[in-house]
Amino acid sequence: MKPRIPLPTDELNQLGLPDTSGMAPAMTAARDQLRRAAFRMRQVDAVTTELVRIRNARHQTCYF
Amino acid sequence: MTTTWIEGLPPGDTDWDRFVALCPDPFEALAAVVVAAWDEADPVLLELCRVRMATLLGFAAEQARRTERARTAGLDEAKLEALAAWPTSPRFTARERACLALAEQFVVDANGVGDEHVAAVTDHLGPAGCYAFVQALSVVETFQRACLTLGIESIPDVDRLSTSHHESPTPEVPQ
Repeated sequence: MKPRIPLPTDELNQLGLPDTSGMAPAMTAARDQLRRAAFRMRQVDAVTTELVRIRNARHQTCYF
Repeated sequence: MTTTWIEGLPPGDTDWDRFVALCPDPFEALAAVVVAAWDEADPVLLELCRVRMATLLGFAAEQARRTERARTAGLDEAKLEALAAWPTSPRFTARERACLALAEQFVVDANGVGDEHVAAVTDHLGPAGCYAFVQALSVVETFQRACLTLGIESIPDVDRLSTSHHESPTPEVPQ
């Protein structure tokens, strides 16, 4: 996939996606914190969490 | 005190506060993301898009709510009342139209966002500004859908959300 906006670097991250870590870093850090908080929740079991994650990824056409 | 369809919530001034009291870790993390989005984005642009997204999602309470940062930055009620007519109303600038077009497509079907939507926003905000704007849209959409799903109708303004979280997000970026 080609980025739709010019990025400051051509580097890829560990997922093989364009590295945008330098863009909007505060928001990126906050989103990572939210993702970690969601994974720390134990009210939903790991299997259900994973099924929902994969189903949502397909719905969003997100293949990585 | 307002109510939601979930019973047994702790007391609080708003629905949001009650959920934070019930489950502080994820809700405070979500609040921190929302605050970061508002810190990054133009408050008038983001407020226009937030209210428009709430309209498209059928979220009446969010549609009626106003963000003080946007009001302070000059957004008036007359413009918000004309929001449904943004494609043709002379109240809206080309910059605002580009952002609203992307926001509408994003919330209706993100897969339908095209090169032309992104190019139009990039023309006005630049690449970094476009990136931050799309991130902010994503935050607003996540927040509104979560609140809709949970029945959270009364929500504090962003600057009161920001006082309810105590930890700064860590710079670590795990994948």
